[in-house]
Amino acid sequence: MPPSPRARFTELSLLVWVAALAVTGFVAVVGAETSAFGPAALIVPAVYLVLVLALHLFLVAQRFHGDQVLMPVAAGLTAIGLVLVQRLASDLLLQQLSWSIISAGAFAATILIPRDLTALSRFKWTWALLGLLLLIAPLFPLIGREINGARIWIKVGPGSIEPWEAVKLLLVVFFAAYLEEYREVLTQTPRRIGPLPVPPVPYLVPIVAMWGVAMLVMIFEKDIGATLLFFGIFLAMLYLATGEAFYALIGVVLLLGGGFVVYHLFGHVQVRVDTWIRPFDEDLRFGAGYQLVQGLYALANGGLLGAGLGNGMPDRIPVVWSDFVFDAFAEEAGLAGAIALLALNLVFVYRGMLIALRAPTTFLQLLAAGLSFIVALQTLVIVGGNARLIPLTGITLPFVAYGGSSLVTNWMLVALLLRVSDVSTRMRGRP
Amino acid sequence: MTNTIASNIRTLTLALAGAFLVASIGVTYWTIFASASLANDPFNPRLIAASRDRPRGAIVDRNGVVIASSEKTADGFSRSYKDQTLAQVTGYASLQFGLSGIEAAYADSLIGQDPADPVSIWRARYLGEHAAAGKVVLGIDEKVQKAAADALGGKRGAIIALDPRTGAILASVSVPSYDANAVVDPSRQQSAFNALQQDGSRPLINRATQGLYPPGSTFKVVTASAALESGFDPNKKLRVDDPYQPDKSWGDYFVRSASHAHGDFNMADGFRLSENIYFAQVGLAIGSARLTDYAKRFGVGAAPKLDLSAGAGQLTASGSIDRPTLLADTSYGQGELLVSPLQMALIYATIANHGVMPTPHYATEVRDAQDHVIREVAPGPVGQVISANTAATLTTMLVGAVSGPGGFAFGAKIPGVNVAGKTGTAENRPGEAPHGWFIGFAPAEAPTVVVAVIVENTAEGGLTAAPLGAQVMRAALGK
Repeated sequence: MPPSPRARFTELSLLVWVAALAVTGFVAVVGAETSAFGPAALIVPAVYLVLVLALHLFLVAQRFHGDQVLMPVAAGLTAIGLVLVQRLASDLLLQQLSWSIISAGAFAATILIPRDLTALSRFKWTWALLGLLLLIAPLFPLIGREINGARIWIKVGPGSIEPWEAVKLLLVVFFAAYLEEYREVLTQTPRRIGPLPVPPVPYLVPIVAMWGVAMLVMIFEKDIGATLLFFGIFLAMLYLATGEAFYALIGVVLLLGGGFVVYHLFGHVQVRVDTWIRPFDEDLRFGAGYQLVQGLYALANGGLLGAGLGNGMPDRIPVVWSDFVFDAFAEEAGLAGAIALLALNLVFVYRGMLIALRAPTTFLQLLAAGLSFIVALQTLVIVGGNARLIPLTGITLPFVAYGGSSLVTNWMLVALLLRVSDVSTRMRGRP
Repeated sequence: MTNTIASNIRTLTLALAGAFLVASIGVTYWTIFASASLANDPFNPRLIAASRDRPRGAIVDRNGVVIASSEKTADGFSRSYKDQTLAQVTGYASLQFGLSGIEAAYADSLIGQDPADPVSIWRARYLGEHAAAGKVVLGIDEKVQKAAADALGGKRGAIIALDPRTGAILASVSVPSYDANAVVDPSRQQSAFNALQQDGSRPLINRATQGLYPPGSTFKVVTASAALESGFDPNKKLRVDDPYQPDKSWGDYFVRSASHAHGDFNMADGFRLSENIYFAQVGLAIGSARLTDYAKRFGVGAAPKLDLSAGAGQLTASGSIDRPTLLADTSYGQGELLVSPLQMALIYATIANHGVMPTPHYATEVRDAQDHVIREVAPGPVGQVISANTAATLTTMLVGAVSGPGGFAFGAKIPGVNVAGKTGTAENRPGEAPHGWFIGFAPAEAPTVVVAVIVENTAEGGLTAAPLGAQVMRAALGK
């Protein structure tokens, strides 16, 4: 007999750790800032924990069968994010708390609204068009905005949002549907030129089209990170659907080739690459490389166990709360904390991929794997940038970095993964 | 086909796990392996912030006279610099602009984390205690420093004095200088620093160690060393007729004599009357390989090892002497030669120190808060550059240049002391007044001080510089 659908004990017990994380984090940070702290320091984590518990009870009330690990992991990462906003930009804390409440709403809505997930695949061209519109929206003169050199924002009321964040979800949905539809082509043996398989037209066209769009994003929106994610997601899903690593290789070669040309033609790309190669040179360390160099100082100050929450100097890094939260966390929590943060992300990706493996249809498999891949790639791109393994980009660390658009879409992503998990559990009759 | 996708998902997940591993290794590199070097990077704001909450160590001269110290103010400690003539040496410790000078070179010692005292570093790290700040003792002698600053006055240029036996720097002046207090004062630091960076006279540069000038006649000791050690007879008379060229192939290129000389010169005469044509002929006689070899031995074209940054200069633009006219010009210190005052002081220190070149250093000791010596800064000599005999022969001739009949460097005479020295009038870009040099040491029998003086753009050249050198040596000798 399957366990009672109401028994989400694993999730509940994992949430106890989230509570411990949030409370100790806030106590440490507030305690380090002001030697005497009142109960006010506990209000934010308390509100947040009530919120998370409400989500848990909501899933229980929905007789939800999905994965029980994913939500607590996302909640734990979001809690670390709130602690870091308190530490690095406490005047933004209420905003970020509001965003987490909105995110919870978006999560609940995504759990409830698409009654049938396969409906998503039926409107794939709608999603593609919507995604494309959102992608180029920042380029329009009245609504587009350039912040910190990247033109990836649009004005909404008094604030601005990054449409890219929504685009990545739409893209995954579209790719999953598109690749499922044209998957039969795979049953034909691909034509070969020598030993190399030539991608059939239904693959070749999107490869070239996606590459073109990615290049345009790099040139006009001035954001290498968005380009990398955008094209990375596409290549990963192409590989998942076809199993041809060679197609992905063609894409990587195209991307590198295009990147090389763009590097020589456009100043903003050159600056990014140069600061990556030699940030400590005199002409860069006080200019374009300043942010990265300050980030590396922060990492270096971390050591094995860190300076202790509130005791480092990560606030010397410009825009630390969005671009450099990872280095800030590593300075105060040390290598141990940084590895733990990466491990938490990897657990999320692992659970997501497990959900993909168990999904009943090709569309759902591709959808879940693509969504999990977003989280993995985003983490890798920004951590790699922070640790000077690759050029720095404006990609945010999922759940942790300050920013509303990113938090809301990431929680919708969690909800979608849980929906896939729920469907497969119900169909297979096991959790 | 579901199985294919499943295996693709597994492969992708494995690849991602591998990428996470690589990212973790990258993070490990910065947090653990690069940690020590970045923690002591002079531009790391953490180093300077440490000095806002607690006193940063003092910088003092050899007799304990305070040059820089931390003083308590309403909001933490602020740095105070007492001697503007040492601005480029002490440098500054600014939260905004990083560290420079001694503040940078001994940054760890000044916050109580001298590498020679690992116990207090680890105690500070693990107990959260703050090690009491150490103190850096410089070889600078306030008396000599003041004499050098007074001697140069407002004239653009540099003076550096050092002890030829140890390499300890006794005085170091670079004009124009600046007020480091303005660079660390939050209320005016930005405008002060911008003004300093835009100032065409480059006050932030330490001309004594980083300024590069043609050495002019002061370089003749290098040509002479190469000649003496190749068996060239210093008593042999060479014919000097101004203007000079060895043969017609030089076309309209001539070596000029400063005194329009006509006569027979030996090496002592060449030094005394600073005869370019004599040394041009010596250079042509020994050849470019010999001269290049000795210039390199004396450190021309390589930055001297020093606890602050030092310029390298060049023998020639291409690094080699590739034509006879360049060989002739290099032999008397022109051509494409560029050297720093410190490099020239070291060349003369080598002669003063029986042919052994000392390693120069500004600091002499690091002391802890209880005034115990944690570390002595006493780099050993660079090595034997020329033989003691050659050094003695050169010293005799340099004494002649100061006190022999008609000696060009007569301005450097000190009553009752044998001074050895050489002036130089280094020609510059066309239309600019020449730079005036004097480099000398005293007492000639057992030298305890070497001084190098350069006065930029002075019509009188070496004649201006020699008396300034004497003033500095007198202060050092207590005469």
